Amino acid sequence: MSGVKLTNVKKSFGEVDVIKDVSLEVPKGEFGVFVGPSGCGKSTLLRMIAGLEETSGGRIEIGGRDVTDAEPARRGVAMVFQSYALYPHLTVAENMGFSLSLARAPRHEREEKVREAARILQLTDHLDKKPSALSGGQRQRVAIGRAIVREPEVFLFDEPLSNLDAELRVQMRLELTRLHRQIGATMIYVTHDQVEAMTLADDIFVLKGGHVMQSGRPLTLYDDPDNRFVAGFIGSPAMNFVNGTVTGTDSGGITVQAEEGSLRAALSGPKPGEGTRVILGIRPEHLAPVSEGGLPVTVEVAEELGGNSYVHARSASGADLVFERRGSRDSLEGQKLHIGADADRIMAFSPEGGRLR
Amino acid sequence: MNHQRRFENIALTCITLVAGIIWIFPLYWAFVTSIRSEDRVVSEAAGLLPDEFNISSYVDAMFNTSLIDWYINSIGTSLIITLVVLVTGMMCAYALSQMQFPGRRLLYGIVLASFMVPAQALVVPQFVLMNDLGLINKWGGIILPQLVVPVVIIVYKQFFDAVPKEMKEAVVLDGGGDYTLLFRVYLPLNWGITTALGIITFIMSWNAFLWPFLVITTEEMMTIPVGITQVNDAFGVAYARIMSVALLAAAPVVIAYLIFQKKVTEAVMISSGVKG
Repeated sequence: MSGVKLTNVKKSFGEVDVIKDVSLEVPKGEFGVFVGPSGCGKSTLLRMIAGLEETSGGRIEIGGRDVTDAEPARRGVAMVFQSYALYPHLTVAENMGFSLSLARAPRHEREEKVREAARILQLTDHLDKKPSALSGGQRQRVAIGRAIVREPEVFLFDEPLSNLDAELRVQMRLELTRLHRQIGATMIYVTHDQVEAMTLADDIFVLKGGHVMQSGRPLTLYDDPDNRFVAGFIGSPAMNFVNGTVTGTDSGGITVQAEEGSLRAALSGPKPGEGTRVILGIRPEHLAPVSEGGLPVTVEVAEELGGNSYVHARSASGADLVFERRGSRDSLEGQKLHIGADADRIMAFSPEGGRLR
Repeated sequence: MNHQRRFENIALTCITLVAGIIWIFPLYWAFVTSIRSEDRVVSEAAGLLPDEFNISSYVDAMFNTSLIDWYINSIGTSLIITLVVLVTGMMCAYALSQMQFPGRRLLYGIVLASFMVPAQALVVPQFVLMNDLGLINKWGGIILPQLVVPVVIIVYKQFFDAVPKEMKEAVVLDGGGDYTLLFRVYLPLNWGITTALGIITFIMSWNAFLWPFLVITTEEMMTIPVGITQVNDAFGVAYARIMSVALLAAAPVVIAYLIFQKKVTEAVMISSGVKG
């Protein structure tokens, strides 16, 4: 049974099409993440599922019900906002029980549900406090508690961790994963942070310009992106891209002349002909100094993280290339060297951005 | 440097002290006059300092005028005006701030424009209207024209505009409508503003003179500021009595001011655009 299903959904603000024919499905009980750069339409899509934005076309189903034109409160969704949107004049318990008090739920039922949500979120000691007396992380938990109390079919999160500091964000990420496992509801989460997307999601939907560029399991998107945009967006540090021209083809792949060097990319499908321009994509962890072949670069700076380091090098044409080193303590700064990767670790893209497989 | 700063402080203190004396002197003089006998008031021997403590003018004011009626009229009309102005102003501001409907901007423009029309310019048409409605010499006649206070709408709208959009959306998702939003979220969020606007509206209607003076002609229906003129008429020029009624008239507002001093200052700042 489907959790949330969108079919050919569109949204226009006047002449501007913000969401262009999006179809996707987040199965019941799964954690779906909409990720993409600012302005890609991810928050608009979430707000359309919540009913806070009208849909210009298409169909939205929640739990098999068509809710395209349903009121927000009748969709069975609860939303956690980036700004928490807590009612500052109410206590934590009153905030969490607000929807039940509007629904005129009996007092004992309300109190019981609030207590249970507070227990799950470790807020029991704070129930009588006002939001202003809580830390950022606690406020975020109250906002989540307010959603839990409603027992929705779908939880919607709109960049809920953006206002927290880095340490707290990591902690809340873990808590959200734990919460999802504990209550097992369908969750949809919007973020521009691909690390959050990778760590939280069962399924990631990468959006750009109102389109879903690719969807799938986090590691599938990481290992096997459909296009240059997804390849560049998923992964931190981002994938390195090198422009080049095909100089040779054989059954196993192509040889590409790029940046005054030469690289081989493994391709199993149809190969582009000699002289074709291609873009090669190599993840930082697959790029390493090589004794022969590869691309000539000059090392500029190394970001030392302790266990590993990210080395920023500049190619002959001025492109910034990053590669990862593990456990090394010697500095490569200022050195000229060649870097390369195994052919089956190098991806090839057409100049239009499509993946060549 | 320190010497210069000290001198500046002393000079500033002196200036504010003089300004304070100038401001308080009429009140002091009213009090001194009110506790003198009528003869003493006009006597050449009367000095600047209080030289007798005669409360006969207060007794006269209490028992030989309609002061109690005037109090009741003032309190009744001011409370009703304050309550209705707050409720309608708040609802109007909510609609202008949060609801989408054709003509919304035009309507707000009219509210802003009406802010600029002086009350004096409206007295004639309002008087004709009240006369046609048969409200001359009635509380309704005093109250109705004072129910439109654009500044209340403007101030409320500013504060409602400032409430984050997510708060509204959270209420909508929680199953609440406009009434929930206004009375259970926006209003409690803006209690301070409501209190401040309530105090300032009450003081304005308590002190209103021109309109109640025009619309009320019978003594028992007068409000206190209008009643003061009757003390003059009924007893000739009785300065002590006029001053005692004037002080009694001001007393509730002064007491209210002393209790809500901080809020009143806030209200004046808000409505004059210093804050918000």
